[in-house]
Amino acid sequence: MAVPRLRNFIDGEWVEPQTEEYADVINPARGELLARVPLSSSADVDRAVAGAREAFPEWRNTPPAARARYLFRLKELMEERFDELAEVQTREHGKTIDESRGETRRGIEQVEVAAGIPTLMQGFNLEDIAAGIDEHCFFQPIGVFSHIAPFNFPFMVPLWFVPYAIAAGNTFVVKPSPRVPLSQTRVVELFEEIDLPPGVVNMVHGGNLATNAILHHPDVAGVTFVGSTAVGRDIIYKTCGQTGKRVIAQCGAKNFIVVMEDCDLPKSMAGLMTSFFGNTGQRCLAGANLVLVGSGSFQKRALDAFIEAAAGIRVGDGMDESVQMGPLQNTASKERVLGFIEQGIREGAVLALDGRKPKLVDPDLPEDCFLNPSVFVDVSPEMTLAREEIFGPVASVLKARDLDHAISLIHDNPYGNAAAIYTSSGRAAQKFRHDVKCGNIGINIGIPAPMAFFPFSGMKDSFFGTLHGQGKDAIRFFTEAKVVVERWF
Amino acid sequence: MELRTASAVIGFAESLETGSAKFYEAAAPRFAGLAASFQDFAKENGKNVQAIKRAYYSVISDALETGFSFQDLTTEPYLIETDLSQSAGAADILKIAVANETRIESFYRHAAKCSETLLADLPRVFKRIANSREKRKSALLEGLEKI
Repeated sequence: MAVPRLRNFIDGEWVEPQTEEYADVINPARGELLARVPLSSSADVDRAVAGAREAFPEWRNTPPAARARYLFRLKELMEERFDELAEVQTREHGKTIDESRGETRRGIEQVEVAAGIPTLMQGFNLEDIAAGIDEHCFFQPIGVFSHIAPFNFPFMVPLWFVPYAIAAGNTFVVKPSPRVPLSQTRVVELFEEIDLPPGVVNMVHGGNLATNAILHHPDVAGVTFVGSTAVGRDIIYKTCGQTGKRVIAQCGAKNFIVVMEDCDLPKSMAGLMTSFFGNTGQRCLAGANLVLVGSGSFQKRALDAFIEAAAGIRVGDGMDESVQMGPLQNTASKERVLGFIEQGIREGAVLALDGRKPKLVDPDLPEDCFLNPSVFVDVSPEMTLAREEIFGPVASVLKARDLDHAISLIHDNPYGNAAAIYTSSGRAAQKFRHDVKCGNIGINIGIPAPMAFFPFSGMKDSFFGTLHGQGKDAIRFFTEAKVVVERWF
Repeated sequence: MELRTASAVIGFAESLETGSAKFYEAAAPRFAGLAASFQDFAKENGKNVQAIKRAYYSVISDALETGFSFQDLTTEPYLIETDLSQSAGAADILKIAVANETRIESFYRHAAKCSETLLADLPRVFKRIANSREKRKSALLEGLEKI
């Protein structure tokens, strides 16, 4: 069968990109070539932005309730195609089918929340601010927005932004990650199927060239980005500042999971495994540093249980329902993770569970992108393992004297995306929630992923911008407040 | 076979319901006294599959422990007999039905316990089906006593 060549979706049409450069889209579990994705040019971005700009006036004047109805139809289609959408994610990304279904559900939740736009977008007013004078505040759409998507959640992450932006009356250009472009292609096909007016949502495939074109385009009012801190802070946030764009840059992470001696260890273990090894460690909320707090005997017991559980994880093709962890998304990711493991060994950490040689449920699968879970012990806070984002199935175990010490370890790290505590002490939980400088806090929850109706927060080097994705924050980001002071003679 | 993930558990539950329905559909024409109940059981099995899938697809989240919650859950203790031999009499059929329902009930109770952290919906459905299996078992045992 011929390998499909993807096209851009601009102004309601599937169009050939103005480039000869294509990249391969590979199923990381099986090494199969799934598609070829264009690395679009700045001319393609110009065309998409022009389409979005032309569509804006009419879309902006479409009543919010009517705009919401498009989203209701989109939700219906997504529910109907639920399994198909999930399978696309597993094939192109490698995550397990349960993880893909979970991602699909959370993506649909964004559409559901954004469909509440007639309420979410309401302004406020006050009569008689002076004699016979009233004041009103309206929230109005702004124009063309764009999203530069990461590879780790190919279906869900763009939906943190696109439904809110268009529900608020803006138009959009989405650029999927060239590593996993198929999920968003399916989403855009659904937008086409619901007869969304041409130009409201456009999609340009590509890499750095397309990203730069979006960042510098004068008609793009704002950019949302999810990815590494190096790109988010030094390129996206900086360039948006220079070009006068609104920006949400949700960036890298190094999340600490604190396990207190008073926790219910057996009940905590599933959450810990999900946190460290779910999505093969490739998520910005993933646990990275496991901090054990308590007596020596507790630390040994907790560590033994953690290693035993990690060692038992079944690794393989995510389409196999018995598999608990899929491959890394590509060979470069695997090489990067292996580099961190080597670095950890060189710096003196002890590799207590070595996942470098994959042990797969199906031994006939190519090992190209697979690793089993690895656990390092005797990790000190200064080590690379404890400081840098690995984005793979590697846990670094640190020890802390008490909760204050554990919190100080978190604060010494430049990132502030997420942190979690496992405890049965309300006092410890309350202190952790209050004191820790991270955007998303878990109390006996390993992945504190905010639901669609809460902001996806982040602090320090994990977030650049003011407002966050999802919920009311997203609505404020995609709208401008207009104040009217009114008097009639 | 070990069941470790939510999708594997859901898939096995579906196979139990389908197998059990097949058994009752085959048994109904051969057992006039309980034919109507057997047909109802088979229909209810179909509804159970829908209820389980609805709960699973409604609450599944990438952030929950769908891949790691199920511990010590294997298929072997819960495998049921779905084929009826031509020579099986009424008592034989009821005995098999009781044994099947006992296994299915145990499976759902174990799965409910394992999935307590997957929001309330999934364990709630598992418990509800386990309770209904318990009632079925009582009805089948009553039938057996009458033979």
